[in-house]
Amino acid sequence: MNIWLSNIIRFVLCISLQVLLFNNLNIYGICTPYIYILFLVSLPIELPRWAELLIGAATGLVMDVFCSSIGVHMSACVLLSYLRPLLINLFVQDKERLSGDVDIDKIGLQPYINILAILTVAHHIMMFTVESGSASMWWLTLIRIVASSILSFVIMIGYELLRRR
Amino acid sequence: MRSLLQLLARYSILLMFLALETLSLILAVKNSEYQRSRFFTSANSISGWTYSIATNISDYFHLKGENEKLNEEVARLQNENNALKNTIIGLQENKPQDYIYSDLDKEFINGKVINVNKNKAHNYLTINKGTRDGVNADMGVISGNGIVGIVSASNERFSIVIPVINTSLHISCKVKGSNHIGSLSWDGKDYRYANLEDLAKHIVVNAGDTIATSGYTTNFPEDMLVGVIEEVKTSPSDAYHKVRVRLATDFSSLSQVSIVKNNTIEEQLSIEQTIK
Repeated sequence: MNIWLSNIIRFVLCISLQVLLFNNLNIYGICTPYIYILFLVSLPIELPRWAELLIGAATGLVMDVFCSSIGVHMSACVLLSYLRPLLINLFVQDKERLSGDVDIDKIGLQPYINILAILTVAHHIMMFTVESGSASMWWLTLIRIVASSILSFVIMIGYELLRRR
Repeated sequence: MRSLLQLLARYSILLMFLALETLSLILAVKNSEYQRSRFFTSANSISGWTYSIATNISDYFHLKGENEKLNEEVARLQNENNALKNTIIGLQENKPQDYIYSDLDKEFINGKVINVNKNKAHNYLTINKGTRDGVNADMGVISGNGIVGIVSASNERFSIVIPVINTSLHISCKVKGSNHIGSLSWDGKDYRYANLEDLAKHIVVNAGDTIATSGYTTNFPEDMLVGVIEEVKTSPSDAYHKVRVRLATDFSSLSQVSIVKNNTIEEQLSIEQTIK
């Protein structure tokens, strides 16, 4: 399938799943999975870095519209989009011969898990910190970050593993 | 100057990242209510549209709960209506305040049919209310459309109801308007129809007349809808009409019911005992 089309479809699917389903999931008030970042994680490997940053900012802004927040998701997504190429350079050796969407088959399971885990944690730290807006209740924010990161990661890696079969 | 430009080019991505990050953080920190409303009035139409569709869909999943709530409300209103009726009757008879029986002589308990049997001669229903909810044997059961049957047995949590479509059940009914009494029974064939017996030939009944409970039994209050006369057959050798009644209650889609609890039944029975 056309790489543009497949990414647009993935964008719509990720955002609508997040908005309609996962945003309503709030386990004990601390744990909400943010799986829409799978769209940003899976963007084509050869995407220019400036474009990736802009796509990240735009995606975050769209989520902000749906979550009635400004800048919260945007800051987290910009951070994620900035870190992703650096992590790919770090964990994937022969990056130059690869092209197309990032997935397990392309870059290998271990590098994929590393990249996804770090990006998820980075996104969640940024998002929950900006959202809380202050250092008070920092322990609650920390619990939210840890619980939500674990759940988000499990859902996303589970989906990617199932998709592979 | 050139080296500065080179430096900028080298770190352009980092600068862009920092610029976007700063922008988003400023937005996040400095969002006053005014900015928020400006931002969201322009963007709200899409998210609002999405959420309204999502709500429409999720509403379907709440229909069951809503339905139960409505039925509880119906039972409550039936109780209230009954109390008001009694008060009005008392007022019309100019009784002193203390003798107006506005307390509930009848109560309606809301229940749900959890098992229906409609294709045998001796059908029964199971409902999810039992003795701990105040349901006991011989209480009448009605649905929103019409009467359903009579409770035959209850344990703590469930009750068995003998429905109208059971050949062993006979219910005292009247033709609405003329107040002639007949006995409704089922012939064991079609769960949509029952027969009204013991209606003498001189009484004029027509197809389309409404059949309601007579109120002569303790199970049902007066004037509960039973059905509508489908056809009337009269043969010269028979002293009674053969009246076929289309039942108001649809037993194929029965779900929510009310159980009629008659609070004055013991008083009534005890006074009736004295003359036996």
